[in-house]
Amino acid sequence: MSFLVIDGVSRRFGKLEVLRDAALSVERGETIAIFGPSGAGKTVLLRLIAGIVAADAGDIRIAGESVVGLGPEARDVGMAFQNFALYPHWPAFENIASPLRGRGMVEADIKQKVQQVAELLRIAHVLHHLPKQLSNGQKQRTALARSLVRGPQVLLLDDPLRNVDAKLRYEMRLELPRLLRQFESTVLYVTQDYKEAMALGDRVGVLQGRCFQQVDRPAAIYNDPRTVEIARQFGDPAINLYPCRPVPGASGAGVEIFGVRVAVPDRLAAMVDRPCLLGIRPEDVRVELTAGPGAFPVELDAVTPLNVRTALFLRSPDRQEILATCSESEGTRFGRGHRPVFARLDAGKILWFDQATGERLRPAA
Amino acid sequence: MATLTLERVSKIYRQRRRQAVHAVIDVSMAIQDGEIVGLLGSSGCGKTSTLRMIAGFEEISQGVIRLGSRVLNQLRPAERNVAMAFEGYALYPPLTLRDNIGFSLLRDKGTKAKAETKVRQIAELLEIADILDRYPPTISGGQQQRTSLARALVRSADLFLLDEPMSQLEPQLRAILRARIKDYLIEHRMTTVFVTHDQTEALALADRIAVMEAGVLQQLATPHELRDRPANLFVASFIGEPPMNIVAVRVERGPDGLRLTAEKPGGGDAFAIDLAGAGLELLAAIGDRQRLQLGIRPHLIEVGGAGPLKASVVSNQWLGDQTHLGIDIDGCLLVAVADGAIAAPLDSEVRVALPLRSLHLFDADSGAALSHGLEPALRGAA
Repeated sequence: MSFLVIDGVSRRFGKLEVLRDAALSVERGETIAIFGPSGAGKTVLLRLIAGIVAADAGDIRIAGESVVGLGPEARDVGMAFQNFALYPHWPAFENIASPLRGRGMVEADIKQKVQQVAELLRIAHVLHHLPKQLSNGQKQRTALARSLVRGPQVLLLDDPLRNVDAKLRYEMRLELPRLLRQFESTVLYVTQDYKEAMALGDRVGVLQGRCFQQVDRPAAIYNDPRTVEIARQFGDPAINLYPCRPVPGASGAGVEIFGVRVAVPDRLAAMVDRPCLLGIRPEDVRVELTAGPGAFPVELDAVTPLNVRTALFLRSPDRQEILATCSESEGTRFGRGHRPVFARLDAGKILWFDQATGERLRPAA
Repeated sequence: MATLTLERVSKIYRQRRRQAVHAVIDVSMAIQDGEIVGLLGSSGCGKTSTLRMIAGFEEISQGVIRLGSRVLNQLRPAERNVAMAFEGYALYPPLTLRDNIGFSLLRDKGTKAKAETKVRQIAELLEIADILDRYPPTISGGQQQRTSLARALVRSADLFLLDEPMSQLEPQLRAILRARIKDYLIEHRMTTVFVTHDQTEALALADRIAVMEAGVLQQLATPHELRDRPANLFVASFIGEPPMNIVAVRVERGPDGLRLTAEKPGGGDAFAIDLAGAGLELLAAIGDRQRLQLGIRPHLIEVGGAGPLKASVVSNQWLGDQTHLGIDIDGCLLVAVADGAIAAPLDSEVRVALPLRSLHLFDADSGAALSHGLEPALRGAA
């Protein structure tokens, strides 16, 4: 039995239905990244679990016990917010200690616990500072320390890295998994950044259209997305998508695109003559200066270096646009672009979707 | 089209009874005909003031700005033949998008049909062709921004100025629109200066990037050069995602040559790097300094293989087209990036190399670059 179970939870605010029959099971000690566009109900879900908002329907169980009806203080749930929400008139120490107060804990124990968590988060030297004297990064660590100090069974983190600078975000992205493991908390981590979701989640829950569309390991979300919308949201540059209609042929079904014929897997035979989407990720398009087997001619119209990788903007003879990426060192071969080159698709990596439903046409399991 | 030159340009905002603010200090740059240059920096670095001086919306406090052979200083904005896309879009609410984009073409020479074709082309490029008959208040911020961009790009001008042109674009559209815009600018040989705080945008669009901080131009260079030869610690840690790893090191001189000992953030020694293989030029660049800052870009750290350093894996994060690895070398936390997936579970030990050719050394006090790889930073600087 899973440790945290969200069982068919619904919630509406007036006319706005935010969650409908949302379901999620989280194992003990697991970190689930909840990813979705703004307004998808991510924060509302956390508030339901914390007990700040009540569900209209459905059950929430922690360690097998329903928490419906329990107040926030009775739930053993810690929460940190994207705007830090520190008490401005208290030094960092008191902010972190606040969840321990009023529980009859002796001062020496409080001191020791705060010191311990502050050291792990590398803010022990600023414990006597007021929030306004802390840098953004230190504020964020203080907020995180406050949510961790009691060692809650369930930790809810609401986009905690949103308001910190890039350097710190990377640092925290690297440190958080180790930190969370030390506290053995079960974590729900809300983010709008797909990279953060993949980096931090043992599994990623894609929340969209009022419920979870897919809950899976990062690699499965990326390589095996259930819908075209999920495929579009994971990956930067986004996956290339082309409307097409498979037609029968002597050597099996295929689609005419880019001035060549791309074979359609046998399992898609039922899709002949029906509108499909061919999806190919930029890193699965190989670009070469010379012709080779399986390669078709394209015009390289722009070279746009990204971080670490370089994006190549291609136009095929049938005026389709293709974005490809290559490593930074490969990218330097192409100059400023505006030259003929050759592209090849990694056929095994093509993702096919039903255009009408947006559902992925997956291989049979 | 024309070249744009800034000669020792400064912007000083003088306020009564308050200290003058030096927003732009002594900036010089020459932008070639048809070149795309990005002004990059965090808020308050002087990039927008620089752009507004070029456009004519701010007085030039000191220095000269030329466009071709014309001195712009005393010309009104309308006399400069410059097209600009504003950060706040500045669309006319009572006009349709079509008229917003097209009205500036009315005063240019050419037929009405030609103008309509141009509007349609640019609208298709920016994916607003299907909403051309709508009015600005009825469309999203991203669409308004694309309309404002279309209005600037459709004109024929000597110079194109774009202020944060893509900050509001929908994430899934960003990469493809950047590519199309770059293609369009190159195709039409448009001399372009754009302002951005987003380095990904700057790297993607620009031929050269002017990195600014505290009103001072830190470096004007190609994306490639900014990464391989950053002029100082600021540029080095600003460019790159994840940013360059920076570690404080102590220089030790032994009979076999130099050794750099990395210091842990909280004190104490971490790993050491032997510079025995370093040439005289590099030694000269280091001089008699006792302390340095050492930098290495995440994807140039070699993980696995038979590297000389032992590291423990703190995190292993596969992001689809790249992997970010957090590694702890004797108490120093570094980030390494690889193109594919890496089989290294958490807390496992991996061997790591920080190759000499990938190390950057900076002066510990001024932050100025001393060397890139085995070469002194000042090579060819004169």
